[in-house]
Amino acid sequence: MDVPAVSTENLTRRFGQIVAVENVNLRVSSGQFFGFLGPNGAGKSTTIKMLTGLLAPSSGKIDILGLDLLHNPVEVKRQIGVVPEGMALFTRLTGWEYLNFVGRMYGLDRATTRNRAEELLNFMQLADQHKKLITDYSHGMQKKLALAAAVIHSPKVLFLDEPFEGVDAIAAGTLKAMLQSMIARGATIFLTSHVLEIVERLCSHVAIIDKGRLVAQGSLEELRAGAGGDGGKMTLEDIFLRVVGTTQNTGRELSWLE
Amino acid sequence: MAGMTRERIAAIAFLRWRLFVNTLRTTRGQLELISRIIVGLLLTTGAFGGAFGLGAAAWYFVSHGEPEWIAILLWPVFAFWQLFPIFSAAFSETSDSSTLLRYPLSYPAYFLVRIAYGAFDPATLMGSLCLVGIGIGVAVASPHVFPVALLTLLTFAVFNLMLSRMLFAWLERWLAQRKTREILGVLFIGAILSIQLIGPLLRRYEHGNRSQWLRLAAQIIPAERVLPPGLAAAAITQSSRRNPGVALTYFSVLCGYTAIAALLLSARVRQEYRGENLSESGPSGAAEPIDKLARGWALPGLPGPTTMIMEKEFRYLSRSGPMLFTLIVPFFMLLIFRSNGVFPHHKPDLVFPAIAAYTLILLTNLIYNNFGGDASGIQFYFAAPVKFREIVAGKNMAHASILLLELAVAWAGVSWIYMTPAPDVMAATLAAMLFAAPVNLAAGNLLSLYFPKRIEASAFGRQRASPTTVLASFGIQLAVIATAALVLWLTRGAGTYWLAALIFLVLAALALVGYTFALRQTDCIASARRQNLISELMRA
Repeated sequence: MDVPAVSTENLTRRFGQIVAVENVNLRVSSGQFFGFLGPNGAGKSTTIKMLTGLLAPSSGKIDILGLDLLHNPVEVKRQIGVVPEGMALFTRLTGWEYLNFVGRMYGLDRATTRNRAEELLNFMQLADQHKKLITDYSHGMQKKLALAAAVIHSPKVLFLDEPFEGVDAIAAGTLKAMLQSMIARGATIFLTSHVLEIVERLCSHVAIIDKGRLVAQGSLEELRAGAGGDGGKMTLEDIFLRVVGTTQNTGRELSWLE
Repeated sequence: MAGMTRERIAAIAFLRWRLFVNTLRTTRGQLELISRIIVGLLLTTGAFGGAFGLGAAAWYFVSHGEPEWIAILLWPVFAFWQLFPIFSAAFSETSDSSTLLRYPLSYPAYFLVRIAYGAFDPATLMGSLCLVGIGIGVAVASPHVFPVALLTLLTFAVFNLMLSRMLFAWLERWLAQRKTREILGVLFIGAILSIQLIGPLLRRYEHGNRSQWLRLAAQIIPAERVLPPGLAAAAITQSSRRNPGVALTYFSVLCGYTAIAALLLSARVRQEYRGENLSESGPSGAAEPIDKLARGWALPGLPGPTTMIMEKEFRYLSRSGPMLFTLIVPFFMLLIFRSNGVFPHHKPDLVFPAIAAYTLILLTNLIYNNFGGDASGIQFYFAAPVKFREIVAGKNMAHASILLLELAVAWAGVSWIYMTPAPDVMAATLAAMLFAAPVNLAAGNLLSLYFPKRIEASAFGRQRASPTTVLASFGIQLAVIATAALVLWLTRGAGTYWLAALIFLVLAALALVGYTFALRQTDCIASARRQNLISELMRA
């Protein structure tokens, strides 16, 4: 039996009285391009933070590539790459220095780090900006650099929190090309995004979280079938709206709006 | 319309009040309020002291029939009021009242808000307090001059407020650039330190050609009288000599200056009101071709992650003008000690220990808010396959290396300016540092984890760490210095510092044990506090 790339058991996170994530049971197989969706405040970022060791769960279990994250944090982190919500950049370094720093922190030797950093800067079209401080990069450039840093150690599982947010079409194209080549080489990618068209185009499997609870999980075909209606023609957006529900404000109007 | 403007200004006041109140929701916010009150009380005491001194001087000049000398009181107030806000822009990101532009504020209301944003800054409050002191001094010395003095000083205050806001508005685009803020910060600290050199320089040249000085003064005085501080002093002087017509003339010219400053400010603020972003910096520099790319550091005997943390810390330091400047301050202080005769040339024993202690205190900013400059990079430390203690150790090693470098520079400076410290003094000082450094590093690590505060590495912070950390570090420094003083006092009979060095070495061993213990705890503490650390350091 294949060891899943990511699996959780009753993963829960509370902030005081508020339950941000409740009994989430995720299963992501190796090699999947997995989209994790949900409305604002549903618990996406909280979940991804727990999966990457940035936040401690209140209860539950997380296994990454068969290793318990809570008991083997260092070993798990060696196998994964992360682009968290704030990108985790050191903005007073240059792009080149940052990639060198990250490579060495992940245990790569100097020569390998140097070669990969150079290749990544070229691939991300950041090579001509290598002397610029990251603080002076545009948002899209910072996203590209963050992704470059997340893959420099060739991770088996890549976690991306909103990788396409604030990125122009050209930069997004570069990012997508890189992610697809990683999938082709057998890596697993777990991403959150609000752009459902991108998720639909890239991801083979999807999970939807709402109010902290997992409300759907499976391949796109399975979700279409499960959503009922004319499943074959449903877009991911249709599925999402049907699963999460959009009827709350339908037909209601603000009394003072003319 | 006026009612609506009042409503909006009340709404903005409410907004700022709620922002303040909401910071008190957390224990950290409450602790910071207490710290701010203590610091505020200290500053206010200083301001009251200044106001009292200026008031006493004003009373003296007026009661002795020399009110024209009030000008020499008004000039420093003017200089402080104008220069401090400009330089203090180097201390922080510029506050941006332009975010209010999206609301339907009328231009007069927006102008008032823009003024109000600057009305409670330290320069305005301290400058106003000083003018109140001068006013009271004049009133006590000569009650009949008080109404004119009150009106004149009030106008002078409005002029200063308008001028400082005007200068700030015109310089805002320039100040929006990181490099400019750094340069201004360096100039500011340099200017503050240079004040220490004025006394010795005056002493050196006081026996020079007196007629030359008088000639220079004669050239300056006419120019001084047509500028606002001189005009304000002249209006008060003429009033006290019962020349109301002349006093009115001076006062009118002062009003003219105020009106011009207000108009120039209004011209700039109106541009902002129409949508121009005054603090928007231009696009960054042109791309550079990729050439010889250096590899990262490799330090023998140290693991890669620790080495990389050290490299990163040094790179951050080398790109922070304020931090670099902090490092040359000890050498500057040596020059000041020497020129002020703080340590007599024939007895320089205490120079090296004093400058070494000063160096350690300067590093407080680095040591006690270890992660402040990392901002969102803190997430990387938790995502990377590295134990947190290795990261902390890397940072500590970088800071210890800086301390060592600073001590070497201080030693060279002392040897050059005074004389080479005696071997027992050297040994005692270094042993004391071996005791003080681990204590500070251990305490700094813990405080960095418990009270992190994001800092802008390019700006000179008035409050680099959290106020709680500042107070705690102050207490720790006091305890360390008291311990060192106690050791020196206990061994004073020995006639040499070798015994003190030995005691310091024993203390250093204990401190090192404590440091190691605290370092081991950082994994657990960081893990338990990661949510707080990340959210605090990523806060914009």
